[in-house]
Amino acid sequence: MNLFKFFLSLIITIAMLLLMDPRSFYSLAFHEWAGLIIGLFFILHKILNWGWIKKVTIGFFRKCTGRARFNYVLDVLLLAGITLMILSGIAIARTIDFSWLNLGGSRMFWRVLHTSSSFITLALFGIHLGLHWNWVLQRLKIKKVKNGKEN
Amino acid sequence: MVKRISFLILSVAILVIGIIAFSKLSYWDRSVRIFSFSSATPFEGRMGRGPGGRGESGEDGRFNRQERSGERFARPEMRNLPDSIRERSRFGEGRQDPGMREGNIPDSLRQQFGPRDEERMERGPFGGGMRNGEGRGRGEFPGGKKINIRNVKWFLAVFAAFTVIAIYIDKAFCLIRKRKGKQKVIR
Repeated sequence: MNLFKFFLSLIITIAMLLLMDPRSFYSLAFHEWAGLIIGLFFILHKILNWGWIKKVTIGFFRKCTGRARFNYVLDVLLLAGITLMILSGIAIARTIDFSWLNLGGSRMFWRVLHTSSSFITLALFGIHLGLHWNWVLQRLKIKKVKNGKEN
Repeated sequence: MVKRISFLILSVAILVIGIIAFSKLSYWDRSVRIFSFSSATPFEGRMGRGPGGRGESGEDGRFNRQERSGERFARPEMRNLPDSIRERSRFGEGRQDPGMREGNIPDSLRQQFGPRDEERMERGPFGGGMRNGEGRGRGEFPGGKKINIRNVKWFLAVFAAFTVIAIYIDKAFCLIRKRKGKQKVIR
């Protein structure tokens, strides 16, 4: 399961980087479809870590460590960022027709929101990876798991 | 020890490249643009293109505020200009001879440009049309290239820099916590 989580995270990271430039990989159509799919991957990532989310949500104000709280807040921000990114992406999509959703607002607003949210989310992604670096090293078998505890 | 030092050097290198990429991409400006957005703001265009592009007004890619507030550059009256400048401007106007635009180029210039430029001149500046009948869809690369990760590497640099910063801050906090724990045990 951990290996699956690791590869899923790796795919999300690579896809996120490729999606930062709409014309970096094939065409705009790829950018739009991959953007939608990465959203599903992100939800899958959350489902796989549902146990931790549940535990921290219940004990957020009582028994959690500061680190767990910080990670939780960061994850909430990441969720908000991804949601805004996908929503604004849908609003400005050119190759996929989402006009039936009638999101309203000016195209310029959605465009600026898409850029800003993706830039902020990438930075949050970097911080998220940094805080889970020990877990990554454990998966790569560079660092040993201490007392059966995983980061 | 050697391993630690090499990791430290690598981290510093990642940080430096990350900072360069951060300024190159105008990362901060583009991240916080949404907070200063108002529907009345004119569209500033993409980086390097149009007004406000990096290529036009320097590093920060911002509009010239004077231009935005309406204090546009006023063209001086011709009669108030010195004779030398008036002469020069007349010469400039002479260059925009409509005959030249329509392809009536002298033979000497035609030879200088060569056959390719000659073809372009006949076609006009905006040739348009399809390339081998295939054309180009929206968002596709002009040269038929499928992968172009030139910009992605800068994003990767920023991402890696944020990761390195988070790793070291996390390590620092762990160290502080450990030291505090030790002090409590001693007391």
